[in-house]
Amino acid sequence: MAGYAVRRLLAAIPTLLFVSFVTFGLVRLAPGDPVLIVLGGKRISPELLVQLREKFGLVGDPVSQYIAWLGRAVQFDFGESYKLKQEVGDLILARLDTTVELVALSVLLAILIGIPLGVLQARRRESPVDYAGSFLAFVGVSSPVYFTAIIGILVFAVWLGWLPAFGSGEDPVDQLRHLILPAVALALGMIALTSRMTRSAMLEVLASDFIEAARAKGLPERTILVKHALRNALIPVLTVISLQVGFLVVGTVLVESTMGLGGLGSLITDAIQNRDYPVIQASVLLLTVLFILINLLTDLLYAVIDPRIRYT
Amino acid sequence: MIARFYGSLPLPASYRMVLRRIAAAPLVRNRAALIALIVLVPLLVATLAPWLLTQANPVAQNLADSLLGASANHPLGTDKPGRDVLARVIYGAAPTLLGALVVVIVSGVVGVPLGLIAGYYGGKREAVIMRPLDALLAFPALLLAVLVVATFGRGLETVVLALGIIYVPAMARLVRSVTLVQRNQAYVDAGRALGYSDRRIIFRHILPNLVGPVVVQSTIDLAYAILDIAALSFLGLGQQPPDPDWGSMLADGRSYLLQNPLPAVSAGLAIMIAVVCFNLVGDGLRVQLDPRERER
Repeated sequence: MAGYAVRRLLAAIPTLLFVSFVTFGLVRLAPGDPVLIVLGGKRISPELLVQLREKFGLVGDPVSQYIAWLGRAVQFDFGESYKLKQEVGDLILARLDTTVELVALSVLLAILIGIPLGVLQARRRESPVDYAGSFLAFVGVSSPVYFTAIIGILVFAVWLGWLPAFGSGEDPVDQLRHLILPAVALALGMIALTSRMTRSAMLEVLASDFIEAARAKGLPERTILVKHALRNALIPVLTVISLQVGFLVVGTVLVESTMGLGGLGSLITDAIQNRDYPVIQASVLLLTVLFILINLLTDLLYAVIDPRIRYT
Repeated sequence: MIARFYGSLPLPASYRMVLRRIAAAPLVRNRAALIALIVLVPLLVATLAPWLLTQANPVAQNLADSLLGASANHPLGTDKPGRDVLARVIYGAAPTLLGALVVVIVSGVVGVPLGLIAGYYGGKREAVIMRPLDALLAFPALLLAVLVVATFGRGLETVVLALGIIYVPAMARLVRSVTLVQRNQAYVDAGRALGYSDRRIIFRHILPNLVGPVVVQSTIDLAYAILDIAALSFLGLGQQPPDPDWGSMLADGRSYLLQNPLPAVSAGLAIMIAVVCFNLVGDGLRVQLDPRERER
């Protein structure tokens, strides 16, 4: 399994090169000189301009600029933000935990609510619970996260006054309280897809012969559902969840800007507005690495759930 | 009636069969899809002829009427500059819905031939086509869209084009996988034995089998495209003010949410209703076109 993981990681290198190259090219295609944007209309001498260009790594042709950037990036040196005048690595690390907490909380909610809901729906097929679950799933996949977040603010912050509406909070407990609304908003779509997939996978498994056999043996319903059926239904569910995590990371951009949270998402959108090349390049690369790692982790988890799957 | 219309078109029998099924699909068994189709009618009118639904001007400001609640004059109240929210929701349908349609058309026009060639011929051609498309999938879609739009200038046209291209890989992969299955069917071998050209096999025999999956995928893509267009204009990259647009209305309404939630909530509900409808219709079509689903 370790050999497989290593090979997968090596296979990811061309993808990362491609993504970084496209990002690098795209930000440079944009009209507007980043040096002039950073200066914001201030007049400076031509010598200073040349100096700034050099400092920003904007001299020479784009290909050699890219190679120079790549050479430093593999050593985890992503340069300094044009706008914020800080190391890009530090900037990202400072913002990363909000985003990771948000995503982790949402995934947790999706697993804890989506899977049991789907099992229940499959168990009580065509009952009110099933219909209610399907309805919820439809609303969940159809509601844009920023709208769900706004409804959440209206209901839980304004009318009921249970939770704070904006910002990221002071101490850890307060911070968690500030994360609940955005995490639920973010999780809703994922809960919907998870419960839907669990339901249909469970229905398929429950109709198979070995479940019949387990029933004939007189096993308790609980054991049949959890040990026999759910374990077999879990692989497609896991796939859906891992695909969704990728979307979640991007969804945080929208939720963060709705709820005034300072995470990676708002760092990226601000950087794009300000043509802050080093920040854009490093954060897009980071997100792609996260994507690839999540996919790999999912594939490895398959083998844990289903012992028939072996990676060599 | 529509079914009969398609039946009379001068097309090969294989196409006529598929089209007849699509035309009859949601209307026959699926009540939810039928309701969705009915709800889509006013949305369609709002897109094509918004002036039929409201007399109010969506861009006329009246600062004296800032942030009014619902009333007979303004059924959904007014926003900060005193514009009629109902009119803005109605006029805001066109950029989002037509934009989503263009996204789907672009992805289909580019993605279907690419997937078809990759799936039918395989080998080198497949590698040349699918490698770059797979690499495109490595990007988080919305992030790539934000990046492209920021590069080539904000505005609805850029958003729609960027999303259209970003939707290509999924469409091409779908078409390729269906083509792969069809290519190995006995009827294709029979066609070859009869000396049919590749062109004839592709257009007369394989393509009709693609119509169903492509129509289903396109309908569901419409729903996703609406969400993505709205998201980008929510971030201020799409339709620019003062033109009405659902995503930017939501972003705008967010800043005075506590004084008057109606503008933001109306725009959000409009997005949601459109997305739910296209999802339901897509679901209905899938059930109808996939024989395995129908038995369930």
